[in-house]
Amino acid sequence: MATTNVEPAGLVSELGLDKQNRASLGRLLGHGSVGRAEEGEDGRMHATIRIPPDELAWEPAILALPHSGDLELEIVNDDENTHCALLPSNGDQQFLWLPNFSRGTASLKLNGPGYYWFSSPIGNDEGRGLTGAIVVMGESPPEARLDRPPQPRP
Amino acid sequence: MTEYIEAGHAVDHGSLSGGAGSAPPVAQDVTYERLLQARSEPQNWLTYYGAYDGKRFSPLDQINTENVNRLTPAWVFQTGAAGMHAGPSTYAFEAAPIVVDGVMFLSGWDGWIWALDAKTGQELWRYKHAIPYDTSLCCGNVNRGVAVAKGKVFAVTLNAHVIALDAETGTQVWDRAYGDVRAGESATLAPLVVKDLVVVGSAGGEFGVRGHLDAFDMESGERVWRTYTVPKPGEPGAETWPQDGEAWARGGANTWVTGTFDPELNLMYWGTGNPAPDFDGGVREGDNLYTDSVIAVNPDNGQIEWHYQYNPHDLWDYDSTMEHILFEQDGRKLLGHFNKNGYFFVLDRTNGELVRVAPFVDRITWGEIDANGRITPKVYPEKEGEPVHFWPGPAGGKEWTHAAYSPRTQLFYVPVQDVGAEVTLRRREFRESIPYWGAGVVVDSTDMAGSVSAFDPSTGEEVWRWHREVPMCASVLATAGDLVFAGEPTGEFNALDARTGEHLWHFQTGCGHHSSPTTYSVDGRQYIAVPVGWGAWVEGFLPGLLGAPHGDALFVFALPEEA
Ligand SMILES: [Cu+2]
Repeated sequence: MATTNVEPAGLVSELGLDKQNRASLGRLLGHGSVGRAEEGEDGRMHATIRIPPDELAWEPAILALPHSGDLELEIVNDDENTHCALLPSNGDQQFLWLPNFSRGTASLKLNGPGYYWFSSPIGNDEGRGLTGAIVVMGESPPEARLDRPPQPRP
Repeated sequence: MTEYIEAGHAVDHGSLSGGAGSAPPVAQDVTYERLLQARSEPQNWLTYYGAYDGKRFSPLDQINTENVNRLTPAWVFQTGAAGMHAGPSTYAFEAAPIVVDGVMFLSGWDGWIWALDAKTGQELWRYKHAIPYDTSLCCGNVNRGVAVAKGKVFAVTLNAHVIALDAETGTQVWDRAYGDVRAGESATLAPLVVKDLVVVGSAGGEFGVRGHLDAFDMESGERVWRTYTVPKPGEPGAETWPQDGEAWARGGANTWVTGTFDPELNLMYWGTGNPAPDFDGGVREGDNLYTDSVIAVNPDNGQIEWHYQYNPHDLWDYDSTMEHILFEQDGRKLLGHFNKNGYFFVLDRTNGELVRVAPFVDRITWGEIDANGRITPKVYPEKEGEPVHFWPGPAGGKEWTHAAYSPRTQLFYVPVQDVGAEVTLRRREFRESIPYWGAGVVVDSTDMAGSVSAFDPSTGEEVWRWHREVPMCASVLATAGDLVFAGEPTGEFNALDARTGEHLWHFQTGCGHHSSPTTYSVDGRQYIAVPVGWGAWVEGFLPGLLGAPHGDALFVFALPEEA
């Protein structure tokens, strides 16, 4: 019988879809945790993402930025295995090796609203759950908008 | 408690590659004067079409009808991909490689730009723009190329920014947003540099936006002017839109293919896109200017000096953004244009007067255009839910991909798509960033054909045709070696005799062609460069090859070096 569940996280957990060595599909489809970047006085945004032990997940899996601009990211690997981070940024993707119990930083520049992927591109980490998104909230800048009355949105 | 290891600071992914990191300063003295005379330095391919006139013709003749059968790959560049990035379902490699004194500047689908050694293919630098995954794209995750001038490389990004990079290092010099991703705008064209301006157009007509052209100061990145292609109430042309309501505000008419330029007349020629909604004319009574038109624009201030509308009140998605090729005949300044509607137009480019119009594809059932340019529509979506079938389908008798003109043969060479489609009117409410077609579309997937056809602009007659089983969906290139190069959806890259259409050479590249080949020379050796990468809205013109290999390589061919 087909089932729909109003609380997907609950069903994902019941089915074991959020655990390694069963199927990490639940995590991959982004029902992992959500976090926000903090804005500093200098206008730069700051956030921390980490990899908890044995979960093969980014924590948070979805990082929301209040607007486009520069993000200073702290990246912590609390897992007992080596991973890495490949992150979106204008100019080039940013890469960081993350040996067991390591921490590093990355400076990212994202210039428009929408969502961007990041991952750990080794050993099929992405398929096992180390896939996350950075979501840039907000609008395109005023000078980029169309000269027309406000239009309906979905 | 375990101490953390210091992992350091993230590095550019490209620093972990064999790339050299910088390019020689060849772009430093690419001035407006050189761009005006681009064809006088045949070793280079300096602008999108090779020169301002849009001919896609090179005076290079080392590779010619006698020796082209010995053409062989010189090097191959593969773009690759790592990690997850924007829009993997619809990407295609659609660029026209630019070459300046031995350095190639190339763009890929995802706001990716490379400088390559044009002789060896070695990567010199790379720039990768981060593109939001959820960008609204009607026709694929693509970029058609860059412009190079005064030490900078100019490009647009899918999220509708125009950027300037340092041509030696690939680092960003400036970045300006000029389109609204939240409204469904995007950008895919190669910028056009005119004087000290970088001129760009927007994409997104299928999402009900208002088309525009923008010009930016090359040095500062400041916007100098913007011209909308759909007039607001009160502006010239506004009477061709409904007087009440907001049809004009959602009218489309995007200028998403690079324009051409006549410096003597000081006019740029930009084609404009289809009106939105594409197929539902009921909400936009009238001719809907300046959709489906060529607009002649003064580059200094963006003013529209004249226009010619190819498809008044379009109901077939026959956007007219495709190239306008400037040529002379009997002392007259003309332009040639192959419209999606299946007709080849020759106009007087001083004033937009129609000189000649003739069909260039076999099956045209949507309507008829007589010798005076008078249009009689015959088949179009009219009643909600009632399917109609017409040729050419919405992909057009020719897509955005470009024709070429050889001053030696005085012939036009056009990649032809002979494909129909069934369209069913399905009215919908407008919402920002949601496709605004007003119909369901099913493209024919079996009964189709294609060709590279040669046309004489003095008569409008076809001179020869190289017939294919499937549509031709890539730009052609004409050279002084009397060759026409054309890539096929099935992967072959071909050379034809420009005078007879005889098939002289081919090479299977392993993936369909949907790009604009260019040619250049380094140290006296001529090369032909062609990006291959199939995809991007293939469902619109060749659904039968939707599952074909989706490659991402640039092939560069040359004659074998003497031992
Ligand atoms: Cu269209």
